[in-house]
Amino acid sequence: MWESLSPEEREAALEQYGVFAEEAQQAGVLGGGEELDASSNATTVRVRDDDTLVTDGPFAELKEALGGYFVLECDSIDDACGWAAKIPAATYGAIEVRPVYVDEGAQS
Amino acid sequence: MKYAALLTNNADDVAEWEKMSPEEAAAARADEIPKWEALFGELGPTGALGAGYELDSPTTAKTVRVRDGETIVTDGPFADTKEQIGGVMELNCEDLDQAIAIAARIPVAFKASVS
Repeated sequence: MWESLSPEEREAALEQYGVFAEEAQQAGVLGGGEELDASSNATTVRVRDDDTLVTDGPFAELKEALGGYFVLECDSIDDACGWAAKIPAATYGAIEVRPVYVDEGAQS
Repeated sequence: MKYAALLTNNADDVAEWEKMSPEEAAAARADEIPKWEALFGELGPTGALGAGYELDSPTTAKTVRVRDGETIVTDGPFADTKEQIGGVMELNCEDLDQAIAIAARIPVAFKASVS
């Protein structure tokens, strides 16, 4: 989807990302995140019967490709969805929100 | 160069885990932990290991889209795929070849994939 945006639209989206990050940071919600290079630059690695199989491209060809992720510290998934709706990609793609796994018995 | 390893699980395996009792799931998890600890123990001192996150099951996911100013929240992941993302590891590597070599040693590479 990003590829189909005009340079002006991309610039506007980047500016909105800055606004989102600043707002989330000030609210103490932003825990981290990375923007990924285009999925056409992905390499996928699988190991089967001790053979390492390396293929070009993402693990699945999708209409919506993964472009990045944010780590958000929220009280509930509903709160997290509220923040997700402010991420620019929500307006032209989708934001999947999932809890980070917490092992209640683990010390790490 | 910084790489993000997107770790996937097979949807069939995820479905099996979902059927397990909490005790069975904890036991299955305990079986897997030594492999991960061995990898982290080895990668830790090399500085190649950045932040990492294990995600909860795809069934816990919600997907948010905003269209014409309206927020639409649906249950489930953004796409139903044979392999589903289960975690992210950030890798600090010299080049793609080093990242691939590390990816090939991540336990999920044996059953699903690292992208």
